[in-house]
Amino acid sequence: MMLPLLYATGEGGLPAPFSPTIGLFIWTFVVFLPFLWLLSKFVFPVIVKATADREAAIAKQLADADKTRADAAGYLAEQRELLAAARGEAQGIVAEARQAGDRERIAAIERTRTEQDELLARAKREIQGERERAISEIRREAVDLAIAAAGKVVGQRLDPAADRKLVEEYITTLRTGA
Amino acid sequence: MSAPQEPFDIAEMVFHHTGDAHQLDFAPFGTIQLPQWQPIHLGSLVIDLSPTRHVVFLMLAAVLAYTLLQIAANGIAKARREGRAPGGYAGMMEAFVVFVRNEIAIANIGKEMGPRYAPLIMAFFFFILMMNLLGLMPWGASPTGNLAVTAALAVMSFLVIEIGGMVKLGFKGYMGTIFPHIEGLHGPGAVVMTMAMAPIEILSKLVKPIALAIRLFGNMLAGHFVILSLFGIVFLFGSLGMWSYGIGAVTASVVLGVMFLELIVAFLQAYVFALLSAVFIGLMQHEH
Repeated sequence: MMLPLLYATGEGGLPAPFSPTIGLFIWTFVVFLPFLWLLSKFVFPVIVKATADREAAIAKQLADADKTRADAAGYLAEQRELLAAARGEAQGIVAEARQAGDRERIAAIERTRTEQDELLARAKREIQGERERAISEIRREAVDLAIAAAGKVVGQRLDPAADRKLVEEYITTLRTGA
Repeated sequence: MSAPQEPFDIAEMVFHHTGDAHQLDFAPFGTIQLPQWQPIHLGSLVIDLSPTRHVVFLMLAAVLAYTLLQIAANGIAKARREGRAPGGYAGMMEAFVVFVRNEIAIANIGKEMGPRYAPLIMAFFFFILMMNLLGLMPWGASPTGNLAVTAALAVMSFLVIEIGGMVKLGFKGYMGTIFPHIEGLHGPGAVVMTMAMAPIEILSKLVKPIALAIRLFGNMLAGHFVILSLFGIVFLFGSLGMWSYGIGAVTASVVLGVMFLELIVAFLQAYVFALLSAVFIGLMQHEH
């Protein structure tokens, strides 16, 4: 049933779509080739160039943005390093100051203790000296008194130097025996 | 008594609208008769170059496509001068052009040769698209529903594929695509196999443009046949009184749906023709 349709002719004696004409075939070339030439010459280059330029501009902007970001990251890392270094340095300074303070405090305590000891020792020495001097004084006074008393008892003047030596030896023996 | 009405002939109506003619039909406003020239006789070949309806729409498609692209190009150039991206219509057309160039032409032919063939692929796409869309317009006709037009486009594609391949591969390389060397075969066996493969290779070269032509023609014509046949139902059942209104409403709704489908097919078939042309050119360019 479809077979007659396939061979049917169109209006005005022209064949139906299934039977192509050579004239339309040639016309297609005649129309398409100038169309292609015009588009290739005046239309596509404009569009392609504009697109390529925009792509290049975007690519450049992206590259710039990447570079800026890399620079910023570099600066940030550098700043962080500087901050860490400054913080380390500050901590060092604080620690050193603390150590110095501690050393100074210990030294001050030590110095104070030494001075105190020295003062104490000196005081002891002075007391000891005073006591010894006082004892010597007392002893001399005692010897003088004893000699004077003995002189009075004996009634003659004795040899003061030899008597003194004798009394002192006796006193020494007394102190030792005591 | 009125004379008995002649039965409505759907086939006549369908062929009247899809076939070529020497007149432009603007029913019910009338028709424009196109000039008829004397055919040229080349031996037994008779060439009638008289303009027909499809020739007119062929030219109209080219003029419209060129004008629309030129307007877009002007808008794009203006936007470029002003240092901004094009918007609106120019932006939309730029997206189309860039898509066809990058995603169809360069993606399939390659970065080296793709830009050289891109104008042809873009011209195929926009020319075919415009011809397809014109068939959906009132009083319009689609030249892509005529085998002569699709065959001519396929022949152009074929010539570009083969001549481009010959230029790229050289004569010896090109002959290798017809007489292929079978890897691993030597001596007389290799010669026999190569000679045996030659007809298949030639056939595969010829099948590609034939498939291009038939696919585009078939798809566009089939769509028109479906739409016109559905319209024909309205006339067939026009004598059923009140029922005819219901049938008319249902048919019109279905036709509307098919028209939307045809709109998609118009874009799809332009895309397929351009894509396959690019794929075939690319295959030949990268043939070893």
